[in-house]
Parts: sequence; C-alpha cells; structure tokens
Amino acid sequence: MNNLRNFCIIAHIDHGKSTLADRILELTGMVRKTSMDQMLDSMDLERERGITIKAKSVRIPYKAGDGGEYILNLIDTPGHVDFNYEVSRSLMACEGAVLLVDATQGVEAQTIANANLALDAGLKIIPAINKIDLPGAMVDDCCLQLYSMLGLSIEDILLVSAKDGTGVIELLEAVVARVPPPSGSADTPLKCLIFDSFYDAYRGVIPHLRIFTGSLKAGDKILIKSTEKIYEVEEVGYFSLGLAQCPMLQAGEVGYAVALIRNAGEIHVGDTVVSSDHPEELAIPGFRMAQSMVYCGVYPIVTSEYGKLGAALEKFKLNDSSIVFEKENSAALGYGYRMGFLGMLHMEIALERLRREYEQDIIATMPSVIYKVFCKNGDILMLDNPSKFPPEGNIGHIEEPIIRTRIIVPSAHIGPCMELADAKRGTLVGIEHPDDRRAILIYDLPLADMITDFYDRLKSVSRGYASMDYELNGYRVGDLVKVDIIVNNGIVDALSYIAPKEGATARGRALIHKLSKTIPKHLFKIPLQAAIGAQVIAREDIFPMRKDVLAKCYGGDITRKRKLLEKQKEGKKKMKMVGFVEVPQEAFLSLMKIED
Amino acid sequence: MQGLYVHIPFCVRKCYYCDFYSEGGKLHLLDDYLKALLTEAEQYRGLTFDTLYIGGGTPSILGAAALEQMMRGLSGCLGLSDLEEATIEANPDTASSEFLRAAAASGISRLSIGVQSLNDDELTRSGRLHNATQALKAIDMASGCGFDDISADIIVGLPGQTTKSLENTLCSLSHSAVTHISAYCLSIEQGTEFARHPPSGLTTDEEQAELFELAARYLKENGFVHYEISNFALPGRECRHNLNYWRGGEYLGLGPGAASHLRGRRFKNAPDLQKYIVGPLADECESETLDVESKLAEEAMLRLRLLEEGLDIAELEERYGRNNVGRLLARLTKLTDAGMLVREGKRYRLPPAMVMVSNRVFTEIIN
Repeated sequence: MNNLRNFCIIAHIDHGKSTLADRILELTGMVRKTSMDQMLDSMDLERERGITIKAKSVRIPYKAGDGGEYILNLIDTPGHVDFNYEVSRSLMACEGAVLLVDATQGVEAQTIANANLALDAGLKIIPAINKIDLPGAMVDDCCLQLYSMLGLSIEDILLVSAKDGTGVIELLEAVVARVPPPSGSADTPLKCLIFDSFYDAYRGVIPHLRIFTGSLKAGDKILIKSTEKIYEVEEVGYFSLGLAQCPMLQAGEVGYAVALIRNAGEIHVGDTVVSSDHPEELAIPGFRMAQSMVYCGVYPIVTSEYGKLGAALEKFKLNDSSIVFEKENSAALGYGYRMGFLGMLHMEIALERLRREYEQDIIATMPSVIYKVFCKNGDILMLDNPSKFPPEGNIGHIEEPIIRTRIIVPSAHIGPCMELADAKRGTLVGIEHPDDRRAILIYDLPLADMITDFYDRLKSVSRGYASMDYELNGYRVGDLVKVDIIVNNGIVDALSYIAPKEGATARGRALIHKLSKTIPKHLFKIPLQAAIGAQVIAREDIFPMRKDVLAKCYGGDITRKRKLLEKQKEGKKKMKMVGFVEVPQEAFLSLMKIED
Repeated sequence: MQGLYVHIPFCVRKCYYCDFYSEGGKLHLLDDYLKALLTEAEQYRGLTFDTLYIGGGTPSILGAAALEQMMRGLSGCLGLSDLEEATIEANPDTASSEFLRAAAASGISRLSIGVQSLNDDELTRSGRLHNATQALKAIDMASGCGFDDISADIIVGLPGQTTKSLENTLCSLSHSAVTHISAYCLSIEQGTEFARHPPSGLTTDEEQAELFELAARYLKENGFVHYEISNFALPGRECRHNLNYWRGGEYLGLGPGAASHLRGRRFKNAPDLQKYIVGPLADECESETLDVESKLAEEAMLRLRLLEEGLDIAELEERYGRNNVGRLLARLTKLTDAGMLVREGKRYRLPPAMVMVSNRVFTEIIN
C-alpha cells in the first residue's frame, strides 16, 4: 500500500486539465503518443464543450526517480460548478490533488472553489502553473496569487506545460514524494465510497469505488448503506484504459465492482458500500442525494410520441443518474415530463444529449427554480413549476433559493459587474482584494436570476475576464408575482413565469414583444398578452399572414415548386401546436434572451 | 393531352426581377442554338402534341426568319399539325409587325405580351426596355395581324407601384384587345439585379396582397374569370397549354432550363446555353419519378390552383384507385373543416380568401 498514490487534478475550466491527463498517460507509456487528444473525455459533447462531465479514473504503473515502482490512480473530476457535489466526492477518493492554474489567466473563481473543497477533504495540494510555454504566461503573478489567495507556499509550486510535456515528470515525482499513501487496514471490515458509476447494457450499473478498509472480491456480498440493498459481487477490477479484471481490491485501492445492479436509481455518488456481514459499519459522512437546482418541462413536439420520450428518459437516467423526471401534464402542451438538473450547464448538456443521442424531437420550457410558497391557510408548498402556483389571493408570501457567488474580476471591470449583480437583485456580502489588480466580489443572488443569463452577461460586461463560482445559500423572501402569458386568448401554462414585482410590467412588455417576433404569422390575428392575475400588463398582436403564394407556377418546373413547399413544411414540423398556434422552441426560452 | 414547350434563352438584357434562365447579349449564338434545339427535338421524333408554347427569355428576339426556320424544323420531326393552341411570348420592344405576321403564318394562334405595367416610371425602374405606348401599340399590332388570343403579363408590387397606377394599367388593358391577363406578385429572387441592389419603393407583403386583391376585383368586374391563382381570362380564353400543367398533364420541354413531364417522369435540362449547344442530349440535370402517393398530392396541389375547376376527387379515385386516395381525402377534409378549402359534392376548391396564402394550404397537402 505504501507504493499507492491516489490523486486528482483540479482546475478552473479550460486551464488544461484534460491535456495534462493526456500527457501523463503518454509519458508513463499508458498510451502511445498520438494525435488523438484527451483520452479521459469520451463523450462527444464533452469534447465540444471542453468540459469533463463525468468523473473517470485510470491506474498508472510508474517507475519513480528513486527506483521505486508505484501505482498512481488518477481520478478525473468534473470541472464545472454545476457538479460541485460530484467533485467533492471524487476528492474524497484521493489523498492528494494537483491544483492547475493557467499561467495566462491566473487564479479564477473555480480554482479557489475547488482548492477549498480539496483542503476541506484534507488533501495534500500540489500547486502547478500550466501553459508556461505561451507568450502571455504570467508565472510570477500566478505564484503570488496562489500564495495570497490560497495561502500556498511559493516554493511548492511546479511549472509545467501540459502541451509540450515540460515539467510533467517532475509533477509525477512530486505526487510520489508529497502525496501520502492511503492509510486503512485490509484486515478490518469493508468500507468503500462510490465516487462515480456508469451503465453497461449487459452488466447493469457499475459503481466506481475507493476502498478505505477491508477488501473486495467476487462472491462477496455487499450492502449499500443508503438503500440497505444487498448484492453479490460478480467481478472486481481496476481502470486501465478500459476495465481490467483482477482477483481482489484492497484497502487504499480504486476500482469497480460488477454486481448486477439493474437500477441506476440504487447507486448514488457519495454513498458507502460495506460488507453485508458487517452492516453495522458506519457510512462515510457527507453523503447526500444529488440535488436538482433547476427544473424545466420537456414535451414531445408530436403529442403522440409521449411514450417514446418516457422510454428515452428511462434509458438516459441509467447513464446519468443525476437527472430526475416525473410525468407532467400541461393544458397547452399536453403530456410531457418535468425534469430536474444540477444546474444550467447540466440542463443544456442533458437536453442536447436527449435530442442527439436519444433522437427526441422535444420542446423544453423556461427553466425554473424551486419556490417555497407559504399559503394563507398554513400550507407550505415546494413548487418547481410556475403553472402549479395557487391563485395569488391564496398566497401569503414566497421564498426563493439564494446562491452565494464569488466573482473574481480585474479591478477595471468591477463597476459593470457590480451594476449587473445589483440589477439581478444581488446583495453585496463583501469585497476582497487578494492583490492590487483583482477583486473578489461576494454576492447573495436569487438563483432564478442566476439561471437566466447572469453568467453570459457577466462575461460580456467584463469582456470575458470575470469568473464565478456559486453554492446554494438557503431561501429568502422575495417580492414575487406569477406572470401568465396569454396566446390567442388562452393562457399557455408552459410560458408562465415567476418574476419580481418590481419591473414586472417592463419585463412583461419586453417578453411579449420578443414573442411577437418569434411566433410566425398565422392566417388569423394572434393577440399576445402578459397578465398578473386578471390584470393585463402588456399586449401586442401578431397580424395575419397576408401573402404566402407561389405566383409563377408555370414554365412547367413543378418539381422546384414542390420542393419549396416541402422545405416550408419541414420548418413547420419543428414547431409545437399550442391550441391553433404553432410555437417554435425559441419562444419558450424568450424570457432568457431579454435584455433588461 | 400532351404539350410542347420550347425555350428561347435569349434576351436583349436581363430585367431586374427576372430569374428565368436566359442570357443577355449572346444573340451571336442563335444559329448554333437552333441547330442544337433541332438535335434535341429529333430525339422525340414521332411524338405528337396538342399545344405548343414558345417561351423565354424573349422569343420575339428571334425575328421573322429565325422563327419560321425553327417552326419548319420542329414540324419536320414532331407532330404539330393538329395543335389546339400555339402561343409565343413577345416583348413590346421586339415584336415587330413583320415578326407578328411571320408568327401567324407559322401557325401561332396566341400571343403573350410582356407588358408588366403601363406606367413608364415602373417600367424603367424594373429594367424594362419599352414604354407604355409601345406596349399598347404591340397589342394593337397583334390584333391587326389577326391574333384573337392576346395575353398580357403584369407584375403586382413593382417598385413605385400604387393602387392608382395599377388601376390605370388594368383599365387600359381591359379596354384593349387583350383577352387574358397573367398577374404575378413580385418576389425578389436570388441572383437577380433586385437581389443584388434592392430597389427603393418596394411594397410590403400586406400592400402587395392589397394590390393583388384590387387587381382581382377589377378584372372580375370587367368580365375576366379568375381561373388560376395568377391568371385571368375572358370566358373560353384560358391558356390550354398551361391548363395542362395545372391538371398534372404531360409535356416535353426543349432547350436549356426547360422542364419535362413524360411517361410519369419529371426531368429538366441544365440551364446552360453553352453546354447545350455542344451537347444538347447530355443536358439532363434533374430527374424524378414520384410514387403514387406523392403524385396524387402533387396533382391535388396543382389542380387546386385552378380556382373555378378545382379538384374532382371522384376523377382522382377513378385514375389512381380509391384506396390510394384515402389519405389525401383525409387531409382535404381537415382543410375543409378549417375553412381553408370549400367542398361541393366531390369537388374541392380554394376559396378567394386563401388565394394569397395558398402555400399554407399546399404545405398541408403535400406528403
């Protein structure tokens, strides 16, 4: 066990984590040097977006400079704030973490958030500055930031270029020298942590495990603490570039177990696995179920394909157990599902995967947070769908989820960032000045405002320089109202939204205007209204289509005419019928695209 | 019923709105072109036709001698002796009395004149090479040469056009010898001068619809029947060659860019004069044979353009078999329920209010 090192790489997004992992695999001979980059990211979408969505790991045999043979377990962690909980559990599987900072960008919000998570988990941190080969590298500044913002010793900092391999071997040597080997005895009862899982169509859900004490082999019976379900282990192994079967996993090691677990809902990241002979063993503290922060309605464009959508969601859930969904019925859109996600990025990725990998033609409604509605009769309702809100007269008050966000911004852009946070109903909690060029703005901000366009706007007002991180920080009373959107004289429940009373009219008008440009002209006039209760706050009409005709249908080229009509018809197929009105997907997201 | 279309891909100059295939200023290729045309026609030796339509381009650019030569050549290999109707298109600036007499002598019975407007400002702004006086004179000359069937093309929504100017155009035409009017809404097509340099004074879609409906009303009051979406005729003066298109009939198209529908297959020559001259037989650029269901839908779409005649579903059932018509019938019924079609017994028609938005109906009909 003394030759084992379990470590991970943590970094702000795009600071080069995946490239470093690739280079490590290459320099240790795990893979041959190829042009195929970033071995650990296997999903297409991840590559496109440059984000590692699901944690994965790999076991690397390594011969160190001291002549010793070591086993390095590199555990990959997700790099986005939506997956904070997953990150924290991946960290628990390690003893050390490489904290990677882009030399051209410096310490950013998620650098700090991830470093704090690692320190909380008691990990040994190895700070490393990456991309030192780039002309814009500011190595000295980065060192000072690591020192002033995170209290790390400057002499501990390594300099690397993941791209050309400079300093990577030195980094591995530091892992061997500085990260402590795992402790924990193989002779005591089994205790391990589930830090990830994946679904195999033939072998069921396969959890990724970190063994803390005891050992695990085929034939053992295991018990999962949160569900108290018992399974018989069929196979254990570790992660090479694929799965590598082995006779036994022991304390300190990282690996997988196949135990015919059919239902993805039975395996949760952060849960504890013990031996069914010792059910009294305590769970590793800190477990919680993945918590959905953002919800939206998902409806098939063709109403009759509701069943197919359900089947696709079931399959998807096996692959991504952090999504939740339940049946939902909308007066306007028919049957569909309410889906919950860890955050906005998770939502975007999940919906895109549903469309691409599971080939579903869907309409997604405006994302919503969970509101706490205190009714006058004493009921407290947790509502993730504005259309489920009780009539305004029955509501005492509403509380909404608040996040605490840390925004790191160069001093020159503090003004616009603070204006933005104020406009988004933020409360300034504090300002820190880690050095003379940058500030950390700490704000409490309604999650609802955060999920519309806060991040995009922040990037734009700071010319791309600001970075942010957030965590849930309880509930706060909000002066909120429900706004209904009335299309062609019928309320479209899927367009209803919750908004601060202040500015509701201006926002309602802007939304109605946006909708009037998004919904195409029909053969009849379509009145559009926004209303709070019975009070109409905005109205515009979409005037009827007056001209849509192929005039010159002569000359005999009928094929061309027919193809023009077919193209027009294809466009219609992407729209959802709401009453007699065809509504395109963009209309449901209009609210997110309104500039204040 | 089988039609013959002959394309004359020459113009003095391209008009600013036109996206039909033609070449400006390449008249030196005319002799070579006529040779190639006859080579292509030779391929179809023995076929007989009921209607002939010589379109363009600007057919009147041929002049008397070339027209007579072309007609002799075509009659030499194709059956053109029993034509019910033979139309040629002419522009006012090139339709000389000599040309018109030659046309009549060659068996042409119908003249289609590119009037477009009788407002000189509108004509100039659209790149037309004639004025209103020349257009009216061409109509008079045609009548004087013995043409009983004279059609005028007009464009609705030309830059600068007003209700007043359109009414003036219609008024003059309805008092002339014209027996047929094709009224097309201006649309800005890719590759045209108007697309490259959008003109000022364009009408909105709403204004264009108003103008068109004004024209339709005016012509109806003056005895014209609105028999197809864009076509108006005095009773009995409909264009039979075009009626055949709208009834889903078959026809042969000769010349570059010409489309054909023969033995169930739709195909088209490449729109390229030079290539056509070199190899008129290797020029096919598109071809398709539709399955029964698509064929039916296409025919329904075409026939519904005929506002008076409409679509007789009983007749379709007879030709295509009752079973095949079922799905189309269901769509027609749905459209009728929505007020987008009207039904009378087994005949469906496009109601007047739907004419300007007929694509909305047709997209529901095609597969």
